[in-house]
Amino acid sequence: MIYLDHHAATPLSAPVLEAMAHAHVHAWANPESVHGQGRLARSARENARGQVARAIGAKPVDVVLAGTGTEALNLAILGLGRARGKPAGYLLTTRIEHPAVTASVAQLAREGLPTRWLEVHEGVAFSPEQLREALTAETALVAIQWVNHETGTILPVAAYAEVCRELAVPLVVDASQAFGKLPLDVVALGASAVVVASAKVGGPSGVSALWHERCTELAPVMHGGAQERGFRPGTPDVPTLAGFGAAAARLGDRLADMPRLSELRDRIEQAACALGARVNGGAGERVATVSNLSFPGWRGDVLVAALDVEGLCVSAGAACSSGLGAPSPVLLAMHPAEPWRAESAIRVSLGPETSQDEVATAIQLLRKVVGRVART
Amino acid sequence: MRVLIALSGGVDSSVAAALLAEQGHDLVGVTFHLWDAQGDNKVGRCCAPEDRDDARRSADHVGFPHYVIDERQAFRDAVVEPFLDTYLAGSTPAPCVACNQHVKVTRLVELADRFGCERIATGHYARIERDDDGTVRLLRGVDRGKDQSYFLYGVAPEVLARMMFPLGDMTKQETRVHGERLNVPNANKPDSQELCFVPDGDIGGFVERERKLSQSGAIRDSDGSVLGEHKGIYRYTVGQRRGLKLGGGPARYVLRVVQEDKSVVVGDETALFADKLEAHSAAWCSALPSEPFDAQVRVRYRATPAAARVFPARDGFRVEFTAPQRAITPGQAAVVYRGEEVVGGGIIA
Repeated sequence: MIYLDHHAATPLSAPVLEAMAHAHVHAWANPESVHGQGRLARSARENARGQVARAIGAKPVDVVLAGTGTEALNLAILGLGRARGKPAGYLLTTRIEHPAVTASVAQLAREGLPTRWLEVHEGVAFSPEQLREALTAETALVAIQWVNHETGTILPVAAYAEVCRELAVPLVVDASQAFGKLPLDVVALGASAVVVASAKVGGPSGVSALWHERCTELAPVMHGGAQERGFRPGTPDVPTLAGFGAAAARLGDRLADMPRLSELRDRIEQAACALGARVNGGAGERVATVSNLSFPGWRGDVLVAALDVEGLCVSAGAACSSGLGAPSPVLLAMHPAEPWRAESAIRVSLGPETSQDEVATAIQLLRKVVGRVART
Repeated sequence: MRVLIALSGGVDSSVAAALLAEQGHDLVGVTFHLWDAQGDNKVGRCCAPEDRDDARRSADHVGFPHYVIDERQAFRDAVVEPFLDTYLAGSTPAPCVACNQHVKVTRLVELADRFGCERIATGHYARIERDDDGTVRLLRGVDRGKDQSYFLYGVAPEVLARMMFPLGDMTKQETRVHGERLNVPNANKPDSQELCFVPDGDIGGFVERERKLSQSGAIRDSDGSVLGEHKGIYRYTVGQRRGLKLGGGPARYVLRVVQEDKSVVVGDETALFADKLEAHSAAWCSALPSEPFDAQVRVRYRATPAAARVFPARDGFRVEFTAPQRAITPGQAAVVYRGEEVVGGGIIA
């Protein structure tokens, strides 16, 4: 099997597995317990928090450890949205966000905070000036992703943060797909809240981190004990957090690998285009790891299945929405004049484990499968 | 050989898959998502989520890749809308014919091409016979109570040539025995009975919800006298006795549903018998016959093929039966057999 779906999930490296195994044996207790066994677990959790904090340039005290990235985004958006008291004004976001953001934003709209949208046509980010024009005295909250999960489009969130700061509007940055692909320093970034996830950087799925500016008021989304200062109650999964920490500690290697991946990605894209594919979001700046391609005459879900039969693992749109059969809203938003792209898209995403040979084989398989149907 | 197997989540297709795997074929499994069951998700409809899980489980058990392919739009366009149109026009549709021929088989061929599968297999109780000269024939399934050749009459010969029906030579009983022998998960799952998109069987309610209408009209006898009122012509089919609510008196049966004045004509059971029919939208399994010929014609899925003479015409055919047939119903498929072999079929006018 050749795995080219790193934007969905990433394999765990040996150091990550070791850290988890060690924690399973030694740090299984409840970190809130006062006794010796509890202290071992608390140590492991705080060690993981420290590793994640260091990886994002943060102080550990400002890092909330949470479950999935979706959970952390719900906490950031609903937390900031609801904490502003009687909702007034509107929330500003883009048309290309991850479903966790879009759905949280929709929930706030149902609670009385309507949404206004910024477009990202063809994958070209709106400028900081355009953001400034869209901000008014009524903007209650801004939520923008750094890197798009489907196309890899990069949005200049640092420049956006400067504008938001000037106008005193809180900005939530979904950095789930940026973490491990672009250098991330939350203090330099200047947003109000940033979310990163373990599953995208060689860590185990199911855990994430929400960094927020000191003294940010967040209305909790879950209710229970006092863990994570009440922002995320519940006994944490310490061994999995240990895996997250170990992965975060190795981000440097992942970042250093980007040029190699960029070249491999370009090879795939060239071969795909020679077969008639169009690159989605190709006009804008993208991270090195992903290519979102639409082949005329192929439905995305059928092409993904046909490639899987040959042993090549890719996805159609975002993993969280494939299987729904609905065309990707991100691609409909990016290429509004060409809705066929949204139904035909496949996403090929690379990681540190991706070898040159794998890419060569993947290209052969793509040619073989796509070649079964005459070009339209 | 790489074979595309259509899995519904039911016992038949799961056993068909297990048998093909036992024979050494490389399988790729596909389940179509055709409809979203609303409300009470009864198991046994081919589109309830449990059925898709059962399909996946049977694929995992044997060990071949399985995909759920969304064809809800195609199903809506090719099956559900025509179903509603036909009922509102006063005929009784045969949606399983439309689904098999215009959605399932069509999509299976396309997927087989894209997945690099030479052959397509299903759990239908039907048989394929291949002559040395390459002629392919569609034959009745051996189990007369389950024979599903009726639904496949319109499948083109070049498609039939690629199909495999592992259960065609078996009875349902034998299928279940194989299922247990091969440890097929859910080998004892009951068969689905209702239409997959109207699981509660309330077709009248379905028509009214989907088209946002209600209807009433007269129930008349053949002389035109009004005997009662009905709540929608789509609730009635030729030969029906239930639901007329005419009080006591002799048993009356629906003879005709008249769209023009929204009336339902009822009468004596003897009036249900007729010895001819006309069919349109004909499909023939081999070369278009030009001369009249003797055959056996099945006027509904549950009917036995009856001796008749078939007169091909432009776009369709006429049938004259040797003995009168009960409740020949416009909208149903008339399928023409010569012995075991399916010759073709059409829609009764």
